[in-house]
Amino acid sequence: MRARDLMIPLQEYLRPDNTLKEAVNLLRMAKRGEERVGVKGLPVIDEKGRIVGMLSMRDILRAVFPFYLSMMELGDFTWDGMVEAIAKRSSNRLVKDVMSRVVITIHEDAPLMECVDHIIKHNIKRLPVIDKDGRVVGMLYERDIFFAITKAMLDEDTRGTE
Amino acid sequence: MTHESTSQPFVMDTAFWTATAIFLLAYATIISEKVHKTIIAVFGAGLILIFKILHQHEAFHVEEFGIDWNVIFLLVSMMIIINLMKPTGVFEYIAIKSAKWGKGDPFRILAIFAVVTAVLSAFLDNVTTVLLITPVTLLIADALEVDPIPYLISCALASNIGGTATLVGDPPNIMIASKARLDFMAFIYHLTPVVIVIMVFYIFALKLIWGRRLITRDELKQRIMAMDEREAIKDPVMLKKSLIVLAIVLTGFVFHGMLHLQPATVALFGAGLLLLLSKTHEPHHILAEVEWPTIFFFMGLFIIVGGVVKVGLIKWLSIKMLELTQGNLFATSMVVMWFSAFASAVVDNIPYVATMNPLIIDMARQLWPNLSGVHLLQHPDLMPLWWSLALGACLGGNGTAIGASANVIVVGMSEKAGRKISFMKFMAYGMPIMIMTVAVSTIYVWLRYYVLKI
Repeated sequence: MRARDLMIPLQEYLRPDNTLKEAVNLLRMAKRGEERVGVKGLPVIDEKGRIVGMLSMRDILRAVFPFYLSMMELGDFTWDGMVEAIAKRSSNRLVKDVMSRVVITIHEDAPLMECVDHIIKHNIKRLPVIDKDGRVVGMLYERDIFFAITKAMLDEDTRGTE
Repeated sequence: MTHESTSQPFVMDTAFWTATAIFLLAYATIISEKVHKTIIAVFGAGLILIFKILHQHEAFHVEEFGIDWNVIFLLVSMMIIINLMKPTGVFEYIAIKSAKWGKGDPFRILAIFAVVTAVLSAFLDNVTTVLLITPVTLLIADALEVDPIPYLISCALASNIGGTATLVGDPPNIMIASKARLDFMAFIYHLTPVVIVIMVFYIFALKLIWGRRLITRDELKQRIMAMDEREAIKDPVMLKKSLIVLAIVLTGFVFHGMLHLQPATVALFGAGLLLLLSKTHEPHHILAEVEWPTIFFFMGLFIIVGGVVKVGLIKWLSIKMLELTQGNLFATSMVVMWFSAFASAVVDNIPYVATMNPLIIDMARQLWPNLSGVHLLQHPDLMPLWWSLALGACLGGNGTAIGASANVIVVGMSEKAGRKISFMKFMAYGMPIMIMTVAVSTIYVWLRYYVLKI
């Protein structure tokens, strides 16, 4: 089985110039397959179709976390309402200033083990799948690889094992 | 060594021009900031050695030309002590406690933070102090929903003022102390009084600038008052050990002159003791956090300056300086103080003082050719010059955003917090404060050393 066989074709993505407000709205409304369940991360794609970053829940958390809190041990001295206040202030920040710029991608023809290798080594939950021109064609999720593994363990139909 | 080099007349030969060219090129590149200053200093030192301006032995082992190990070990040891103390939470404790003393009032907190920063800076290096205080000031500004910029700028300025007060407060003082063989108490006796006066003026200036502009609502003050500073202490056992070692080190500083121990000896002993008491099996992290780029910057500079001292450039400059002031030492003091202030506002005060120290010593040799050692270095008529150099070089750092490392840090933090402080904006506050503090110092030096003569 290869990346292409397990990926979910690309439906929704962000632009670098989207605001965080637009981004979280899309994250909340995004479809996964046929259901509109919301996703925890989306690729950021520029107008030429190239992937320039990923925006995940963790990036949103980081966007409301003031950098000075990480410089010293100041977590004990925060107050109720601080996160909400900074979230309001941050809603017009741009995706490109908040997204993770280091993106691990996988080629659509890559074998499944290569995908597992990336997921484990880089501690990520989703992998953008690219074609030979470097355009994003889909997303491969940790969860879907897990289902492929369970199928193999339970001896259900698995294509392309030989 | 000292006697021979004084009696030797210098000649403007190839070595003279090579060393001068290396020196000028190095300083010009440092100012241009095209290449990291540490790289320039190390490369320049390499050139001085490879062209045999200095022999390696002179660079590494001769006090007059080479690396000042006093400065190096004092800095490294103090950095080790602070790195071991940081995780205990003591600095968070002090900062939160200070904010609560201010009862949540924005200006009172600003003034208290300025004083706390100045006091901490007198004993720790300025960059460390600013890195410890500014995160808390940003938190407080967020809590009170006020502009963080006044807190950031006043903190940087206060750290440069406070650092002037003691031997260990600011690198120029460490360098001057080592060259002039002055002890910790000499700085307390001669510089601390004027720094206290300057701080009073500074707080008044802050009140004038920001006193009315910082206002908050009563319910926001509650956010500060609800903080419990005791939660900051993460490691009470290590805190006790650190405070004991710090007390030993400070006592050592106070008595080092009497005990005939160098300040670096005291600090190195303290660092070793605290490392031992910390029971760490991984000294790697503590040692890696020492600011090695700064340390290597010092080492490289000492060698470059040693080169121009040996070929006689500095001696030539000192003759020109005496010609300019016609041997009038009061005039020389004033020129040194004001020139140092403006020079330090634009260039790093470390290379500046590294150059001025030998210049003052060469000047003393012209004035009193028969004296040597401490009698020469601490000639009563020369002392006001050392204090003027220290005051000018330390306080001058406040003039611009690039005048001192603490300013650079604060400007960087402000930008990260989304509130950019432009070069002009910093100067609008820093330059008047610098001029005010140097003016107070001018009156002090004139009154104390030339009128009252005490």
